[in-house]
Amino acid sequence: MPVLDVGYRTWSGERTFSLFRWWVVAWSGIRLLLAGTALRRVMIVATIPALLSGVAIGVFEQATVDDSLRQSVTKEMFGRRMDRAPRDSIWQVLRPAVENPKENRHLVWTFILHWYFRYPQAICTVVMLGLVAPRLISYDLRSRGYLLYLSRPLTPWSYLIGKASVLYFLLAMITTLPALLIYMAGILMSTSSGAILETWDIPLRILLSTCVLVLPTTAVALALSSMTEESRFAGFGWFAIWIVGWVTYIVMNATLMRRFDRFQRGMVQEEEYFYYLSPYHLLGQLQREIFGLMPTDRGIDFLAWILCAGITLLGYGIAYRRISRTLKV
Amino acid sequence: MIDIRGLTKQYGRRSALQNVDFVVRPGITGLLGPNGSGKSTLIKAILGLVRANSGSGTVLGMQWPKDVRILRDRIGYLPEDDCYILGLQGIESVRLMAQLSGLPGSEALRRAHEVMDFCDIEQERYRNVETYSTGMRQKLKFAQALVHDPDLVILDEPTTGLDPNQREEFLGRIKTLATEFGKTVLLSTHILHDVHQICDDVTVLVNGTVRLHESLQTLEKPTQNGMHVVVVSDVEKLQVELQQQRFLVEQTDVNSLFVHGLLSSDASIVWRSATQCGVIIQKVDQARNSLDKIFMQIAGAD
Repeated sequence: MPVLDVGYRTWSGERTFSLFRWWVVAWSGIRLLLAGTALRRVMIVATIPALLSGVAIGVFEQATVDDSLRQSVTKEMFGRRMDRAPRDSIWQVLRPAVENPKENRHLVWTFILHWYFRYPQAICTVVMLGLVAPRLISYDLRSRGYLLYLSRPLTPWSYLIGKASVLYFLLAMITTLPALLIYMAGILMSTSSGAILETWDIPLRILLSTCVLVLPTTAVALALSSMTEESRFAGFGWFAIWIVGWVTYIVMNATLMRRFDRFQRGMVQEEEYFYYLSPYHLLGQLQREIFGLMPTDRGIDFLAWILCAGITLLGYGIAYRRISRTLKV
Repeated sequence: MIDIRGLTKQYGRRSALQNVDFVVRPGITGLLGPNGSGKSTLIKAILGLVRANSGSGTVLGMQWPKDVRILRDRIGYLPEDDCYILGLQGIESVRLMAQLSGLPGSEALRRAHEVMDFCDIEQERYRNVETYSTGMRQKLKFAQALVHDPDLVILDEPTTGLDPNQREEFLGRIKTLATEFGKTVLLSTHILHDVHQICDDVTVLVNGTVRLHESLQTLEKPTQNGMHVVVVSDVEKLQVELQQQRFLVEQTDVNSLFVHGLLSSDASIVWRSATQCGVIIQKVDQARNSLDKIFMQIAGAD
């Protein structure tokens, strides 16, 4: 018995608004995850590429006022690459910036941020979700914790949004927030007073790029987590999707390349073929569009957008259905 | 408190509940029924966890099923399943449930401690819930059900896994909630002893239909006056002695008699007769209907 047992006591206070109770699910999940030191370390490591991107923007800003720096860094680094790159390559999009950096601040910044999203952060997202997401729903299925949540004023949707928000938060911490900080650092390091006017749309592109990266990936991760009580199976499924997609993309492209002679191969080797088959490359393609780095003669790839939206809806639909089904007696 | 009419729930072609009229008055109502009779489906339908095919009514004065989500703020539910949230301490788990029911953060923590004291969870509250024993988990679920101070408490097999002492304490707490704090309790159980001990009303559900809804007092009221007498030995001697005093006496067991027409105020006659014939009495009880027999009759009718 407690030292001072007051027995049962009634409670009559002001309750919080029921529509936002999903936030309690999200916050409790975030706190539980951040209590683990391993995840905190992964998050710290995930911010390192942001430092590199910040340095890149800093160097570019210096190059706009220092001709020798521009010659030695910008032209030497990018110029050679551009000469070898095929017509559709992202390097060709960058060509005007090498010739006239002052007038192409927007292009260079978006290029750096696109690189940041496309390579280190997309990989970090896959790894982070692979570590965290499989547990989110499958643990509740295993321990029947969903009954405790859903016997409160929560719908399966609000439960799902709460769980998804845990992932949104983590991914925002390793993608959106560092990207916005890179942008802010760029503004502060900029040698031009008109930098904000030139680049005002970049934060919006960052947010849109985050959505494209986060929404479909969390949808698939939650769908997998809701399909099994064993989180390791969900984790295996998650990594399998990315690896199989990647390998298929490489194999299909390699098969295609064999049809071309050496000269043609050089012209097309960096073009994106079969990227619909690989989630990683599909997301990369969409992000390239968001950051405005597509060749001018290429329009919006509607099929890629529809595919991305379809995967997102399907993922959340499966997760919702699985949660609702568990309530059957 | 609960008045639901025409509740039907089907899973595919199988009917889990068929046109059930379910009424719960203030106090403690026992919900009995064999396995698969639809008790858990009925409870989940009341909570809106499964969608009923038809049926309407009121719960705590609110429209059911229209307002079922708002209603959950006023209902405490202890699920039958062994359920917990992995990775949380006991206190965090109860606090989380409080917050999900709308209690603000600091208030939720204070209230969680208060309710865990009431449920007799001591220092174990700082342990992760997955390390809890079955009995502790039952207490934890009870604390979670009560943390938001609900008006209606639905308990699905609450005493499963408790030792006899804990069971008595648990039943005592349920009784306290109903008698001192005016909570309405719906107790779904297989254990007739629990129902007999604390319930005011009994509902028996068989094959998805309500077969009986009555107050326990009425149910246990004997159809005829009489007393049960249990003796240590020589039951025949006492039977003859009482028959000589013109009582109709029936031997019901090796050591038991039923004395027809004898009122409890006249129990001294039995004691006197036993002294005269040298028989040692173990127990004298007023006749009443056995809940076990009633349940067996109803459940066995199918």
